[in-house]
Amino acid sequence: MKAHWLKTIVTTAVVLLGLSTAQKLTFWHYWDGANGQVLQGLIERYQKEHPGVTIEAVFVPGGELLTKLQTAITARQTPTMAISDLVAMPLLTRSGALAPLDDYIRQSNLNLTDYFPGPLVYGLYQGKRYSLPVSASNLGLFWNKNLFRAAGLDPNRPPRNWDELLRFAKQVKEKTGKWGLELFTQGGEGTTWQTQVYFWGAGAEFLNANNTAPAFNSPQGVRALQFLVDLVQKEKVAPVAPWGLFGRGEAAMVMDGSWMTQFFPQQVSFELGAAPFPFAPGGRPATNMGGEQIFIFQSADAATAKAAWDFINWFSSTPVQVEWDRGTGFLPVRRSVANDPAYRAWVSNARPLMRPFVDSMAFAKPRPPVARYPQISDIFAKYVQEALLGRLSPKEALERAAQEVAPLLR
Amino acid sequence: MLKPLKGLLTHLLLAGGAFLSAMPFLWMLTTALKPEIALYQPPLLFPVHLEWENFVKAWQAAPFPRFFLNSAVMTVGIVLAQTLFSAMAGYAFARMRFAGRDLLFFGVLGTMMIPFPVTLIPSFLVVNALGWIDTYNALIIPRAVSAFAIFLFRQFFLSLPRELEEAALIDGAGRLTIFFRIVLPLSTPVMAASAIFSFLFAWNDFLWPLIVTNSTEMRTVQVGLAMFQGQYGVFWTLLSAAATIVTLPAVLAFLAAQRQFIAGITSTGLKE
Amino acid sequence: MNGVRLHKVPSKASRWGRTLGEWPAALFFLLPTVAVLGTFNFYPALYSLYLSLFEWNGLSPTREFVGLANYARLLASGEFWNSLRVTLLYAGGVTLLALALGLGVAVLLNQPIRGQAVYRVLYFLPVITPTVASGVVWKYLFDPTQGVVNRGLVGVGLEGPSWLSDPSWALVAVVVVGVWKRVGFNMVVYLAALQGIPKTYYEAAQLDGADSWQQFRYITLPLLAPTTFFLVVTALIDAFQVFDLVYVMTSGGPLGSTDVLGYYLYRQGFRYSELGFASAVAYVMFALIFLVTVIQFRLTRGGQGDA
Repeated sequence: MKAHWLKTIVTTAVVLLGLSTAQKLTFWHYWDGANGQVLQGLIERYQKEHPGVTIEAVFVPGGELLTKLQTAITARQTPTMAISDLVAMPLLTRSGALAPLDDYIRQSNLNLTDYFPGPLVYGLYQGKRYSLPVSASNLGLFWNKNLFRAAGLDPNRPPRNWDELLRFAKQVKEKTGKWGLELFTQGGEGTTWQTQVYFWGAGAEFLNANNTAPAFNSPQGVRALQFLVDLVQKEKVAPVAPWGLFGRGEAAMVMDGSWMTQFFPQQVSFELGAAPFPFAPGGRPATNMGGEQIFIFQSADAATAKAAWDFINWFSSTPVQVEWDRGTGFLPVRRSVANDPAYRAWVSNARPLMRPFVDSMAFAKPRPPVARYPQISDIFAKYVQEALLGRLSPKEALERAAQEVAPLLR
Repeated sequence: MLKPLKGLLTHLLLAGGAFLSAMPFLWMLTTALKPEIALYQPPLLFPVHLEWENFVKAWQAAPFPRFFLNSAVMTVGIVLAQTLFSAMAGYAFARMRFAGRDLLFFGVLGTMMIPFPVTLIPSFLVVNALGWIDTYNALIIPRAVSAFAIFLFRQFFLSLPRELEEAALIDGAGRLTIFFRIVLPLSTPVMAASAIFSFLFAWNDFLWPLIVTNSTEMRTVQVGLAMFQGQYGVFWTLLSAAATIVTLPAVLAFLAAQRQFIAGITSTGLKE
Repeated sequence: MNGVRLHKVPSKASRWGRTLGEWPAALFFLLPTVAVLGTFNFYPALYSLYLSLFEWNGLSPTREFVGLANYARLLASGEFWNSLRVTLLYAGGVTLLALALGLGVAVLLNQPIRGQAVYRVLYFLPVITPTVASGVVWKYLFDPTQGVVNRGLVGVGLEGPSWLSDPSWALVAVVVVGVWKRVGFNMVVYLAALQGIPKTYYEAAQLDGADSWQQFRYITLPLLAPTTFFLVVTALIDAFQVFDLVYVMTSGGPLGSTDVLGYYLYRQGFRYSELGFASAVAYVMFALIFLVTVIQFRLTRGGQGDA
């Protein structure tokens, strides 16, 4: 009898204690498929190591995440934390709905200098940091070794600069009749973020240093666009056509993302190579960077916000990030991950195609963190299309784009 | 003498159009059965090696049983409500006479003309104020009435001969009796048409169910499909397999509904 | 013709209808409609009308009142007028072509024809097929070198354009797909309406010696008029707001040649998060569709007769 009573009291006490310290965190993300499973695995481990904390990870399709956040913020129904594509971060940091992370970062001694500087700028607004990068991706060159062979090129020797890029492309066109290079000509952000790589590679900038005016209409910018236009109009080694030629084996080279090191090998029936993207003679190596950032909402009470931070801090730690990047194929956001022996060994053995992308992180540039970036991107892409179709000269196209972009930065 | 020739021509014409109509659907079916490597090859209609495994993988990639349950509850609720309420309203607009009728009708039509994206946030605020976030209420009640279906019913009732109703009116029957006893039984074809459109609307809806639910337990099949169209590339074979599974109920619903359109079987009650 | 006369029998209903308002009964029939549409459609619509007077990105805690500036900016925007032109072309093309084809298929499939049920399902499949699948296949059919369309054109000695990448042809391709998707819908509505035409009308016409074209022209077509009105109005409403098809096929390009209003609105509202401006776009779209509908309504005496 006595034992029974005691047991009841003890159980009740444990339950009550458990309740008082229990933290339920909700976490919205758009990591689908295998990425979502890796996240779920990490969360389950975290919960085991931190009894009393439950994290409910809810998948929200990426295309609708911002809309979902808009309704949630307007109705004050936000989750505890969420991720977002870095392009949307400027809108989110200005929403007043995110909690500043600076105090947490200081208390946890999180070393921000270990992060690659590119994506870090997205979390900043008015001197405060609202988000941290948790994943990265960038662009590089893929080439079809079978087509290189058929064209009499060394299948293991990718082009290193634009002269070689053009020469190889011409040789492929002449010898095989296939396209030398595939460009993303369908407009929108797809066109813009690829074109930016050519611009940076020629020494041009997209916006000025403090992001208050367009800078793509510089002589270097005109040179870069002229190169692309020549590929299409003069040399006829790249078509204006729907995307997908490279995958079907109809184009020998393409600029595509680090995530394709995972997809292409399962999808294509030819031998693949990957390399950092070639840049202009006299230019500099360049690539564009994407990725996700994590943040906490203002609406969370202090204890919940702290619990969310503890998770973020754990998730951002080097060992967990190594595991995360190995599981998902995302690129490291921290140098300590990129240099981690286990990570490097994994890349060399399991994902050799990813090596050039990991190395490119050192010079990967972010798109400018401005709130109206989507509009600016669409305008820029439209004028790139005008030039590629031969309707406007590169100089005129960029001048007109600059005129339309300028008011959006004021 | 010309009859067989005419029949043959009709069939040729119909078959050509039918093939064109069915092609994307066939592509989806065959892609669902392809190994991923075959994707970039020209879309041959029939894969050489059938990959049934894709269906299993797709089914396991998301909590589909729960998503199907949610979609089913939502769809049944919406179809029943829309069909009944829209038939009632359509009848009032077609047959009854009252002040402000046309104005009200235009108001109903007008709700179809406001693009959904701009009413999303205010609609969400209403549902939130009612405390319906993450409930079946939010999935069903805001869409319990369809302006589209009201319009469809109104037009159908307008084309229905009035004689029977008038006879009943003269016999002293009330509007309710007339509607349920005479008009609805004559309306099975249009009810079937309306129901199939309600079904497709509800079953295929993606954005609203996504916005008003926050937990995985309340999500619907279309959100499940979105999981295969990732930020970093589309898993075509799995997407096709999942889309085939998800589209199947719609095909079955149409098969059931179209039986109501067989001339001569449905009694119009006016044959004699 | 007999059928028409039968249809135009003067209505006895006029006797009881006009003097007595039927409000009490009507209220019962309309209560769910008024309650639901009022709460979940009218109120949000008015709210977004109010939002159209602000500059707001849907996230920021503050909204800036700008009066009619969003409307002024819209009417001064070349992109908007381009969108309007593209939309009118799209809406006109899809509405007319799909109406004719839908009616043709419905009439053919209303006969006791072998394989009737199978044909109906096949013609309805475009309505059911997920848009992603339709987009992939049509993109492939319109592929400049591999696509069936251009291969066919080569077969008859023509060189087809690079459809979806060519600003002069992309809209044609999108209209083709729009029609493809709409025919099955129109077919179903026409099939349903055809069931409502009493057989006696045709029997009487046959006794009068009318051939099948005359029966179609003088019985079927006039009696389908309310349905045709419904299909034209809803097709225009849908076409004015078309989005997903354009999204998967062309993303509004190339060079805005397929940038229909529905897509333009999506860009402003969802991609650019310009919710105030998007609301203004929505209301201009609303005004246009509403006007077109009212004109049709007037021309057809409340959607009852021939246009």
